[in-house]
Amino acid sequence: MSDLAGTLIPIVDLRRNQPRFRGLEAGHLACLGCGQALAARLVTEAAGPDVVVANATGCLEVFTTAWPQSAWRVPWLHSLFENAAAVASGMEAALKAQGKSAKVLAFGGDGGTFDIGFQALSGMLERGHNVLYVCFDNEAYMNTGVQRSSSTPHAAMTTTSPPGKARMGKRHLKKDIISIIAAHNIPYAATASVAYPSDIRKKVRRALEIDGPAFINIHSPCPLGWGHDGSLSIEVARLAVECGLFPVVELERGALTGTMPLRAPRPVTDYLKPQQRFAHLFQNDPRAREELEHLQALADYNIETYGLRGERPDPLDSAGADTVRRGGVRWA
Amino acid sequence: MLQALEGSQAIAQAVALCRPQVVAAYPITPQTHIVEGLARLIADGKLQCELVSVESEFSAASVALGAVAAGSRVYTASASQGILLMSEVLYNIAGLRVPLVMTCANRAVSAPLSIWNDQQDSMAVRDAGWIQLYCADNQEAVDTTVQAYRIAERTELPVMVCVDGFTLTHTLEPLEIPPQDQVDAFLPPFRFARALDPSYPVSSGTLVSPEYYTEARHAHHQALLRAKDEIVAADSDWAVLTGRASGGLLQVDGPDDARVAILTLGSVFGTLLDAREEYPQLGPVKLIKLRAFRPFPVEALQQVCVGLSDVIVLERALSPGSGGIAGAEVRAALAELPAAPRVHNFAAGLGGRDVPLDIYPRLLAATQSASPVRFAILDVELDKLPVEDR
Amino acid sequence: MAIYTRGGFALPETSLASKTGTWRLQRPIHRHSSAPCHTACPAGEDPQAYLAQVAEGRWREAWETLVAANPLPAITGRVCDHPCESGCNRGQYDEAIAIHNVERFLGDQAIREGWAYPVTPPSVNAHRVAVVGAGPAGLSAAYHLCRLGYQVTLLDMLPEAGGTLRTALPPYRLPREVLAQETQRLLAIGIEFLAHHALGRDVSLDELCADYGAVFLAPGRQQGREWSVDGRVPADLHTGLRLLQEWVAVGTIPKVKSAAIVGGGNSAVDLARVLRKTGAEVHVITHDALPKLGVPPEGAMKAIPREVKQAQEEGVMFHEHRGIQRLLLRGERVVGVEMVHMKKLPRPDGSIGIVPFEGTETVLHVEQIIPAIGQVVLAAGMERILEGSPFFAVDLWGHVANHPGVFAGGDARKGSRGTVSGAVGDGRRAALAIDGYLKGVATVEHHTEAIPLESLNLNYFEHEPRAEEPLLAVEQRSGDAEVAGGLVEPQVMAESLRCFSCGMCLACDNCWTLCPDQSVLKIKELASDGSHYVFDYDYCKGCGLCARECPSGYIVMEDELLFAGRY
Repeated sequence: MSDLAGTLIPIVDLRRNQPRFRGLEAGHLACLGCGQALAARLVTEAAGPDVVVANATGCLEVFTTAWPQSAWRVPWLHSLFENAAAVASGMEAALKAQGKSAKVLAFGGDGGTFDIGFQALSGMLERGHNVLYVCFDNEAYMNTGVQRSSSTPHAAMTTTSPPGKARMGKRHLKKDIISIIAAHNIPYAATASVAYPSDIRKKVRRALEIDGPAFINIHSPCPLGWGHDGSLSIEVARLAVECGLFPVVELERGALTGTMPLRAPRPVTDYLKPQQRFAHLFQNDPRAREELEHLQALADYNIETYGLRGERPDPLDSAGADTVRRGGVRWA
Repeated sequence: MLQALEGSQAIAQAVALCRPQVVAAYPITPQTHIVEGLARLIADGKLQCELVSVESEFSAASVALGAVAAGSRVYTASASQGILLMSEVLYNIAGLRVPLVMTCANRAVSAPLSIWNDQQDSMAVRDAGWIQLYCADNQEAVDTTVQAYRIAERTELPVMVCVDGFTLTHTLEPLEIPPQDQVDAFLPPFRFARALDPSYPVSSGTLVSPEYYTEARHAHHQALLRAKDEIVAADSDWAVLTGRASGGLLQVDGPDDARVAILTLGSVFGTLLDAREEYPQLGPVKLIKLRAFRPFPVEALQQVCVGLSDVIVLERALSPGSGGIAGAEVRAALAELPAAPRVHNFAAGLGGRDVPLDIYPRLLAATQSASPVRFAILDVELDKLPVEDR
Repeated sequence: MAIYTRGGFALPETSLASKTGTWRLQRPIHRHSSAPCHTACPAGEDPQAYLAQVAEGRWREAWETLVAANPLPAITGRVCDHPCESGCNRGQYDEAIAIHNVERFLGDQAIREGWAYPVTPPSVNAHRVAVVGAGPAGLSAAYHLCRLGYQVTLLDMLPEAGGTLRTALPPYRLPREVLAQETQRLLAIGIEFLAHHALGRDVSLDELCADYGAVFLAPGRQQGREWSVDGRVPADLHTGLRLLQEWVAVGTIPKVKSAAIVGGGNSAVDLARVLRKTGAEVHVITHDALPKLGVPPEGAMKAIPREVKQAQEEGVMFHEHRGIQRLLLRGERVVGVEMVHMKKLPRPDGSIGIVPFEGTETVLHVEQIIPAIGQVVLAAGMERILEGSPFFAVDLWGHVANHPGVFAGGDARKGSRGTVSGAVGDGRRAALAIDGYLKGVATVEHHTEAIPLESLNLNYFEHEPRAEEPLLAVEQRSGDAEVAGGLVEPQVMAESLRCFSCGMCLACDNCWTLCPDQSVLKIKELASDGSHYVFDYDYCKGCGLCARECPSGYIVMEDELLFAGRY
């Protein structure tokens, strides 16, 4: 029983009667403040029960399904690290052959998407499978203990890109995955951030309406890997968007059709400073200053390239998109 | 009614008769003709099926896995490098206990590059947890393909039907394609108990702790051992329907009083049958066709080898640094017999090297040796090698 | 012992067997902190609470919440200087919520709809309490005593209830219709009102003390203060209050060509506007600063800023930081004043003094000089309590020292800022103190700090302009027509939705949406009372994300050790 707030409803019943679809339940073993756990919950919530999920190897798979338990309430299959898109393709082909309408989702991390599973993903997109592929981008191999991936931002510290006398963290740029995905000329490709749940929800629904392959890359902080307190996951994700380092965009058939404008771009240091993985950039070291300038230039480049600077306040810009009101958001 | 068909086309027709809902494949010689045949059947509207032409064998196996998980009957085929590229998925399919059927058009493995036949590819994945059935001729390939679906779906294990590349796949033979109603009577529609279904959303592919992993492996091993009965039953039931049997776990051909046997896998069996007729003077010899390599039919083999003095194992693969693969297992199985026959082990026909009829006397010569031939590769012409590599 | 499933599959939501709540080092809890509008309100209103109810369209409940503290919202919504809005956290973000307009709207709506005050009539056996003075303090005390179950007799020397509201507030600020309706509705809850009863004339304090369990004195300030400049007084001196009362009572005021009013309170500004309506040239001279951004309330004129603004619009001239140094007289008649720049400054000993700056003298030619510098209590009938002092010296609860059973408040209290809301608050607190006195229990103060802006998460609020009420055009401001037009329902609703809900659940779904562990559960469709969500401590890992992202500071993290043994 919940003895709080005077309710006498057994909390188990309360949980069952939440006015939203519970795709990913409690009791999973994610770290405190895990951005990926939240993002996956939001995606499955928005996608609804009539889905089938193929999940790549990674934290999400490990923390949700420690046999004999599962946190999922959607049919879900984990096969391997690099084949989520292919497994999803097979599921989609099977459902199509059986005349079933369930939508197929594929989940992967940035390692499983940008790197090892990239070929399978490209194949899935090219073949036009009616699958929504969602990448939970936490910018490194977190499940194996924070190694750099092709999604790791320039200059970030990971266990395989440590800063030292000779190097200032990762030496390569974050792979521009969304442009590569969009180059497949698929109907819908988007980026999103866990800091903007309503945007995620909207994009998931939009992607599911489309007949054909869709892709969403969701920026999902990893408190452990990024080195910030779990309570700051949303804050950090929001700052990534607001400084321009993580542009939130939509591309349809390769063409830019939507952006989340920045009402007032923040300096990248606001985003970098709370994260331990960038701590070496705040030392008194000319190389550190250079890297900070470099990252600022990358953010400016994104803002310029995608035209992110908002001309006037917009309810869907970076400051308006997370506005709340009494009564919250009506969940369908 | 007998028809003259290329092996690949016959296999394609057999697959089509099993009504697969999803076919996923990637081109590789010598498997390609099978999938091309299926593609043509689909294009002609003779087969209602999703053909997923993937970007790699890795994805072919993965698509197949996903499609079965979603409840469809699935087919894929590959060979050689393709099998090796798939290997991670092959283990995964088996561990998930996902039933599907694939054809391995057996081919040598690179390097050096060879597109021709041996059985190194399927032997390389013998421990993946699949059932492996080896076909001696194209009629067997047809019949075994149909049987494989019943075996897979009843045991919830994947089945690899091994067919020698070129030797069978590209060879025209007169054979019988069963009518659809016969196949339908034999093979009920597929219903996968753990199919992913929003109304009963189970999670598959979980993380299993050391407390249970051992049990999982034990269960898998037992499932394969128990599959022997299904393999035998499928073959005998099929024989009742069609009048054709493929030997169940293994097939023995030869006089009861023979004291010598030659055991082999795949199409070499036919060569040996012809050779025995060619060399009647060499006395009574039993020929054993090992149809099921996984599960390995220890009891059945022991039974047919009682009273033999020599068993010669001829195989088309090897484990470098060790020797024969099938030979080692046969030797181990027969060692349990009270009067164990001597086991001689040879590899031949590697990378498409011809297996001529005169291999027969050369094999039988082993029976004259003082001690059993542990392992030798036949036909090695050492002068083709630099001295230091001989 | 679990039995291994073929292929290692798991059933849905079986993770619920993992009570990840055991990981927790800190737990989120809901903690209601006071909103600054609430701590700033002298009447004790909690505007956050009723704004929340308005936002949910629960208009009557909102009004009931409002009148739980202040029974005169239609009045205070018009005449209060709304310190709630000065305190409003939103004022530091864009513009404060127009709380006074919401209050006024609710008060008017209650009158229009005839909503009865949520009061059960006292039983005939209930203790009797006498309240002297039917101004805002007396009305408030009578109302709250009634709510607490007492029989109340309210005495006033005037024929009608209202006190200063009736005698000195111009109708263009407080229409008499509104005053009459609100006071009548209030008295109708079961208060015995004795008009024409002057203390010391019709009844004595001793008699009241004998007949009633307790007495609350709220006579207001009826006696004008002595005023002179260096001992000189013009012959035709009228105090501002007197002139204002006359104008309110009979609707006329002696005509002058020009006048200077001394003082910075509401009376000064009211009178200035009244005089200005007659066509006179009107000056207001005050030591204090005009109310504007950056001026602390203690340094600004006491008059309500919007009234000052309206007066300026109407042509009243203000002279801030000025004092009168000399009267320019022709015989006994004033022809002007000599002003000097003055400022409140700390003296070397630390006290605050008003310092004139030599060399800043200017002359202002006016026909009349009117002091509006405040009044003192008219002692009649209460001499033994006042003991010669101009005001009642009482504590926060209105206890008059050495006179058990006698309480005082309102303008008559020493230190009163002379506001209606302050008087309402005095009445409410005195009622609670009387209740405690009669029950023999001490009255405790629940002092709470207002939640600061820094405790909110402003990322979740969009800038939205405050709804502005229509004002009569300057040329139409004549007679009794109300100047401020109030807001209409959609505007009131919009204002309620602008509220940050400081320190209280906004029911915004943020915690419910952002919990990575599905450990915030919603218990009802919508609730403004903080009961909308619960934490499921079986699974909450204590990451603190909900607390960090709570827009209104309603979720705080507590060390888990504090709960040891209680979970």
